[in-house]
Order: sequence, then structure tokens, then C-alpha cells
Amino acid sequence: MSAFTLEIVTPTQILEAEEVSYVRCPGTDGSFGIMASHREAVIGLDVGEIKITQGGKDSFYATSGGFAEITKEKVQLLVETVEKADEIDSGRAEASLTRAKGRVSGTDGSDSKRAETALFRAVNRLRVSKR
Amino acid sequence: MANLKDIRDRIKSVKSIQKVTKAMKMVAAAKMRRAQENMEQARPYSSRLTEIIQNLLPDVDRGLLPLLNVREVKRVAYVVVTSDKGLAGSFNSSVLRKSQNEIDELGKENVDVFCIGKKARDHYKSRGYTIIESHVDFWSNLNFNHAIKIGNGIVSYFLNGNVDEIRVVYNQFVNVASQMVLTEQLLPLEYEADQNTVVDRLYEPSKDDIVKSLVPRHLNVQMWKYLLESYASEQAARMVAMENATTNSEDMIKDLTLEFNKARQATITTEMLEIVSGAEALKG
Repeated sequence: MSAFTLEIVTPTQILEAEEVSYVRCPGTDGSFGIMASHREAVIGLDVGEIKITQGGKDSFYATSGGFAEITKEKVQLLVETVEKADEIDSGRAEASLTRAKGRVSGTDGSDSKRAETALFRAVNRLRVSKR
Repeated sequence: MANLKDIRDRIKSVKSIQKVTKAMKMVAAAKMRRAQENMEQARPYSSRLTEIIQNLLPDVDRGLLPLLNVREVKRVAYVVVTSDKGLAGSFNSSVLRKSQNEIDELGKENVDVFCIGKKARDHYKSRGYTIIESHVDFWSNLNFNHAIKIGNGIVSYFLNGNVDEIRVVYNQFVNVASQMVLTEQLLPLEYEADQNTVVDRLYEPSKDDIVKSLVPRHLNVQMWKYLLESYASEQAARMVAMENATTNSEDMIKDLTLEFNKARQATITTEMLEIVSGAEALKG
């Protein structure tokens, strides 16, 4: 199976992975997969889980959304945050979930939308951390 | 001639000040290195985003997003980026001077101010400018979330139609020895459309949707860039200022030591004269 180079680019760090055979990303229109020689594309990403298959092994990451840019040379995921599943502090994730829940029920208007996205992010991180 | 004790005390105090400036210089150097690393890490992300936007904008209607709206400019907001702490040479004063000149040109009453850092807040508060938001006390543990928080406040202020243009005044990090004070327009977004780079690409869900989520992210990273540039500049300016202070105190210690020795010798001479003349008197 042919492989490609994946880069996860965030404002604070760059993660690089060589010889990746498959990536599953949380697209805004639903989850999708990328394999080698995908056509060139820019695809919006939502809050969710990224799965990377590298040398037959899977690893999982939580992200808060961004873009996937696919070119002939490589695949770049431009995301605001990325956290590896086993590096997520599940205690902290749980705490932020409780906080987000409280905020969702306690606010309205434009604040409630922000609180809801925070809740999504918290739920997602917790889910990925259990991988 | 000052007396010996006074000079000795002054030498002592200059020496202890020198210790402080030396330490501050070291700390600033370490912080600057970290800030520079952060800047380098942020660069690929922001340059990719900018490239994608430039590829897209020729195909997208500016009316699509309020953030792209060019309105007649009646009211302007200034985002002034300074530090919390002083002792950094002309770092803060040059930003404040430039921003205040520009604001006064437009008229104090036509401008709203967003203050980043204590120095900007104190400056504009005491002079009675319209301050919308102040962000202080975050520099020591600066992270991307601060950029998002500050950015959101500014963007929603623009979206609510309170102002028609947002400009940022900040220190750009050129190199360790020099920082440049710049004014940049943050909103509405301006881009040179480069028609040549458009390639056959798939956009999902659609170009419009991509632009809609790209632009706010782009602003966040832009804000992050301003914060990082300013932080690195602050540390560089402080490093140079403290370096100069250390050299100056070195000179001062030299001068004072010379003065001290002169005074000491003068005292010895006087004492000897007294003894000799005393002995002469006894001889009769």
C-alpha cells in the first residue's frame, strides 16, 4: 500500500508523520478518509477525532477544527488545536466538561452558542482520551 | 569634595543595581529566545491560511461575510499592544506615541481603544480616551487562547457595527537590536488577489463555507502573531536596555572609584600635614 506524508500544523506546533497510509478526519459534512494520491482539495474540518494509520498502527487525536489541505506532495491538516489521545488529561477534560455544561444551561443568546461549541469540544476531548 | 563614606555608599548601591540589571538582561534573553521559537512555529500555519484565502478570494463575493465588508469609515478602533512592565527602553513609549498621534489626527471622540498590556491601559485611561476593553496580566503565561479571547472581543465589536475599521499598533520584531512600530489594518480584511495561483482543486463543503470558517481563524492567528511579535520585541528591547544599563553602571563605578581614591589620598595628605606640623610645633 502506498503511503504519504502528513503534517498537522497548528499555531503552536507542527506534528509530522511520514509513511502514513490512511487518515480519517472529522469533515464539516461528516467524517472522511484520505489515502495516498487523493485529488487536490481543501476540506473544512469540524470538532472531532483524527485517526492516523501509520505502519499498521492506529493513533488518535482530538482536534477543535480547521482545514485539510491535500496537495500532490503531502497532506496538511491546518487545525487550531490538536492533542494526542494518550496525552489528554482526562481529569481536566472532565472538569472542563462540567464547566461547559454549567455555562450552556446558564446563558442565552450569542453566549450560548459559544458555550455550546465549548461543550462539543469538551465532550470530544473526553471521548478521544478514552481511546 | 564629597566625604569618603558617601562615595563608598554610592559605589555599593550602584553595584547592587548593576546586579539587578544583569539578572534582568539574562531573564529577558531567555524569554526572548522562547518567544522567537513560538513565532517560528506559528509562521507555517499563518502562511498556509493566508495562501488558501488568497486562492479563494477572487472567487468569493465580498458581501458573503460581514468581516469582509468594506464600509464607509466613520469610526475607527485602535488596538494598542504594549507590555505590562516597563524598563524596556523606548518599547512602550514609541507605540503609545505613534498610536496617540494617529488617534488625535482622527479626533479623540471618533476613536475607540482596545488596550493590550498595562502600559496602554494606564496611558489611555488617564488621558480620558474611550476604552472598550483592556487585557492585562496575561503576558507571563501567554498562549493561543489569549489570542482567541482578545480576537473575539475585537471581531464582535466590528460585527456589531460599532466601528468601520480596526487598526492595530504594535512592535514588530525585526532583530534583537531593532523593533519597528507598525500600524496594520486588521478589519475589514484586505487581500491582493493573485489569479495565477488558482489550481484545479476540490473544495468541501463549498468555497463559501470554507471562507466563512477560514476568515475568523485567520483573524485569531493574526492576533496571535501580533502578541508574539510584541512579546519578542519587548524582551529584546528590555535586553538591550538592561545591557546598556549594565555598561553605564560599569562606567559609573569606575568614575566613583576614581573619586573615592582621590578623596582618600586627599585625606591622607591632610592627616600627614597635620602630624608633621604638630611635630614641628612640639620641637618648638
